[in-house]
Amino acid sequence: MNQTISRVTYALTTIVGLTAFLYPFWLPAVTPDSGQQMAHAGDSALMLTVLVVICLAILMLEAQSQGLSTKAIALLGVLVAINATLRFVEVALPGPGGFSPIFPLIVLAGYVYGARFGFLLGSLTLLVSAIITGGVGPWLPYQMFTAGWCGMTATLCRPLVHALHGVGRTTEVVVLAIFGGIWGLLFGIIMNIWFWPFAAGPAAMYWQPGVGPWETLQRYLVFYVATSLLWDLARAIGNVVLILLAGAPVLRVLRRFQRRFAFSYRPTAGMPGVEVTT
Amino acid sequence: MTGTDEVATEVRASPTTVRQALHPGTWVIWLVGVAIALTTTRNPWYLALVLLLVALVLKVCSPPAGEASRDPVISPWRFGLIVVATSTLFNVLMVHVGDTVLFNLPAWLPLIGGPLTLEAAVYGALNGLVLAGIFAAFAVFNRTVPVRAALRLAPRAYYPVAVVMSIAVTFVPATQQQFQQIREAQAVRGLRMNTMRSWLPLVVPLLEGSLERSFQLAEAMMARGFASAEENVNRRPQVLLLAGLGSWLAGWLLRLVWRQPLLGDLLLIAGTGALGLGLWLAGRQHPHTVYRPTPWHWQDGVVIAGAALVGAIYLFPLPGIDRSSLFYYPYPALTWPAASALIVAGTLGLGAPAVVR
Amino acid sequence: MIHFDHLTYTYPGAQQPALNDVSLDLPEGELILVIGPSGSGKSTLLRCINGLVPHFSGGALAGQVRVEGLDPVVATPKVLSRYVGFVFQDPEAQFVTDLVEDEIAFALENAAMAPQEMRVRVEETLDLLDLEPLRNRPLKTLSGGERQRVAIAAALALRPRILVLDEPTSQLDPKSAEDVLNALVRLNSDLGLTVLLAEHRMERVLPFVDRVIYLPDDGSPILSDEPRRVLNQIELGPPLVKLGKSLGWQPLPLTIKEGIRFSRTWLANEKAQGKAGGDPVARRIVHRKTHPAVQAQKLSLNYGGRKVLRNVDFAVWPGEIVALMGRNGAGKTTLLKCLIGLARPQAGSIMLDGEAILGKDVASIARDMGYLPQDPNTLLFAESVRDELFTTLHNHGAASKTGGEWRLAAGAAAVEPDTLLRRLRLEHKAAAYPRDLSVGERQRVALAAITVTQPRVLLLDEPTRGLDYVAKEGVDRPPQTVARRRHGRCTGYT
Repeated sequence: MNQTISRVTYALTTIVGLTAFLYPFWLPAVTPDSGQQMAHAGDSALMLTVLVVICLAILMLEAQSQGLSTKAIALLGVLVAINATLRFVEVALPGPGGFSPIFPLIVLAGYVYGARFGFLLGSLTLLVSAIITGGVGPWLPYQMFTAGWCGMTATLCRPLVHALHGVGRTTEVVVLAIFGGIWGLLFGIIMNIWFWPFAAGPAAMYWQPGVGPWETLQRYLVFYVATSLLWDLARAIGNVVLILLAGAPVLRVLRRFQRRFAFSYRPTAGMPGVEVTT
Repeated sequence: MTGTDEVATEVRASPTTVRQALHPGTWVIWLVGVAIALTTTRNPWYLALVLLLVALVLKVCSPPAGEASRDPVISPWRFGLIVVATSTLFNVLMVHVGDTVLFNLPAWLPLIGGPLTLEAAVYGALNGLVLAGIFAAFAVFNRTVPVRAALRLAPRAYYPVAVVMSIAVTFVPATQQQFQQIREAQAVRGLRMNTMRSWLPLVVPLLEGSLERSFQLAEAMMARGFASAEENVNRRPQVLLLAGLGSWLAGWLLRLVWRQPLLGDLLLIAGTGALGLGLWLAGRQHPHTVYRPTPWHWQDGVVIAGAALVGAIYLFPLPGIDRSSLFYYPYPALTWPAASALIVAGTLGLGAPAVVR
Repeated sequence: MIHFDHLTYTYPGAQQPALNDVSLDLPEGELILVIGPSGSGKSTLLRCINGLVPHFSGGALAGQVRVEGLDPVVATPKVLSRYVGFVFQDPEAQFVTDLVEDEIAFALENAAMAPQEMRVRVEETLDLLDLEPLRNRPLKTLSGGERQRVAIAAALALRPRILVLDEPTSQLDPKSAEDVLNALVRLNSDLGLTVLLAEHRMERVLPFVDRVIYLPDDGSPILSDEPRRVLNQIELGPPLVKLGKSLGWQPLPLTIKEGIRFSRTWLANEKAQGKAGGDPVARRIVHRKTHPAVQAQKLSLNYGGRKVLRNVDFAVWPGEIVALMGRNGAGKTTLLKCLIGLARPQAGSIMLDGEAILGKDVASIARDMGYLPQDPNTLLFAESVRDELFTTLHNHGAASKTGGEWRLAAGAAAVEPDTLLRRLRLEHKAAAYPRDLSVGERQRVALAAITVTQPRVLLLDEPTRGLDYVAKEGVDRPPQTVARRRHGRCTGYT
């Protein structure tokens, strides 16, 4: 039962999330005629933001309902604080382009401590740093969602690393570095979709007959390359370099702490003990 | 590092020094009102009015200089200018629709080739104004709601997450301090910061020290009876939330794609109900009480009523109000926008925070 | 009330158990002092009482603890919170909120207490520790002693019958420590609260203690008895007790008042025999070379619009040991940081062995002048204690790593790291991960990592813990200057 609910949660929120993020591409295609529809195209942005917020709310509930022990709460709080501090550095001393030092920890912690932990670390990092730097804005739910996905999907590297027999070796760090690089780009691409409808978005498509999803995509790519590609490349390269550099020691530290999550107990001598995972 | 100083000042502003202020929840509702108004209309009159009201509220309700809880990195007005410029530029270059041609670019240029029109420029600028207005409204929120109050907004169902956030906010200044100490400690061991690798001796103690402190904190919390959740969490609330999400998605698609506004609205309402109920049930799983609840005052009522009025006018067809002026579009040929007196009067409700102070 | 039954506990990855076959029986209402050298398992023992060990530490536990009839391991620390209040070493690390009142209410909120009742309880708890005037203050603005009193109040909010404190005064200056300890004595005598206290400032509490538990670190059995009887059997103890023991005063004096009674008769005896007299403190003759080891002239430093240092002049000669004293915020740390180059004075000059060092970078100054920061944790990051020492040498170009083996550079003026570890009694920890060590051991590792380059001058910033040992063992022999910063009196080992 629990398993099913979790699966449905992930499936549904991912579908809704993708629908929401990609609406500029499909919306003009499914509602080809103009006129009355225009009225509703305007509030789509708002509706979709609401949908994203609901998805976030559900994912958070899912993530916290399963095994968010007191330890994990404190651990998350402190890691979020580190990341929020790093974000300060980013705001105060802008590095090259969209370089942001927050991703390595999200990727590494998600990889070691699991999808739920990664999701919460990613989304809460963005939330907390937005609250303390005064960066709360309409983009926040999207940022939280995307960073959460980044942390959540980091667990997908586990089977790959296992297949390559890379646990504890350089391969592991390389895999994670590439993963971090990909997310550096993805983050920018997804966040741009949020802004794009306001710049040269789908509403105008209704007035240009023959503009299909394919051309919409082309327009988006132009918009993306013009406004953000360099920016996002800097972020991607930053992620790769940071993870290559700090990945191994950070993984060691995170794993060392994992030992504290289990103990054995043998109350009476001569009797068999029990193993407890907390 | 200017960032460090900002946090420091922010944290020093203790809740006791905050004057009688609106409930943070009220600000959220006001914010939603502004967002609804701005995203539903492209009528320049209404957009300008909303922007004006937001500017007024920003001016009146911001704490005096120096006391502002958190100033955004970039001023909302400068950001607005950038956004308006960007979106105008892109719309002009990419959308070659409209009767008033300003300029012709050679047609062989991919995407941007073709006529550049005044209508596209106007529409781009209006889109930019929408974003600028939303940004300014959030700036109001960021300036007026103290960090701790914002944290208390988390619904009870998210108690564990709220604790995580409260810990994080508490630890940010400590982490900065710690980082400074580690830098000094490594310097006196002869570490020179000349390569990227020199950062490792800073990162590892910071991370390790923070993890250790997180465990100390977890111990301290548990020693005082904190427990995140019971062993067997009831998952029924989550099912309700999922149902709510599905219902919302279906309702929205019905409205937009299959043009069934009535059925769509019903599903939206049902979805909202399911979500509310789910959150309430989930909240009951965290048995804890609040020592210092944030009080509501009559001023909150006034602001909420204003925001609700605006939401109703912009979203629903109310008898006696002609909504056609909301849906202004400059295409195919630029026309003079019309305005309805009733809508203008209703929109003034967003200025409530500036009045009740 | 509290029973330990053949309790053995091993930390994850450790070779030796931290507690080995501990059996104790602690009656209700007593004030119990837990003492022992650093790394002997005091913290571990206390944490077993409410189940933090093993719930928060992992590892392997055998044997049993019973607290008010409950097994903390099975019942979990959450349930135990109603029976045992716990106060930790570092006041900062245990606060969850940022206001005094909220901090006290935290435990009550968790217990889902009704708001009305909660108000009453918070008031009572505030009064219990005289915190009423501080109730609305942010925790950040409190002094160390006040914070620790808030922590005690927060631990007592649920009205537990047992209060456990793990070195609650180790981060405090003597005055604050006294306030905290006095509060504990009062809670014990007025409310009959059972108090278990690990503490190294024994002299303050010894007169009121009902029982002392001594944890040895050499495998000998644990002692748990009436204070005088335990103190008679062990080396550890406050100066007065040591003096009493060496002069054979019985029953052992625990307070100055008791001590004076003995000393009067003793002095009279000595006088009669013509032995006493002269300067009781033999002044150390310092060999004054041509120039001082460190000399500062007209140092001035402003920080944030405040004059922290104004025209500071001093000279420290080779071999001298200097204690830097002053109130909180008087600029002690700042002065040390100026010497090492971490802070830049606006005016003045600093000479190290006759050479001006102001403006040089920290790394090059640090080679000749060691500086041990307050928190040893900020220093430690290597994989083993031994690596830690070599890393410092490597930073200074005095060691290199080839094929995973550290090698000392030829002609490097440094102590062989293994020798230094032996001298600091850390040789058995050479391969250990520094962060797994106890607080006192970490402090010694940090000291080793600083002194491995054989600096001619050593600056210690509040080495309050763990160093008592080190000072005895002797850090290094070549003529060396130690500027040591301690709050208030230099009791203990000087």
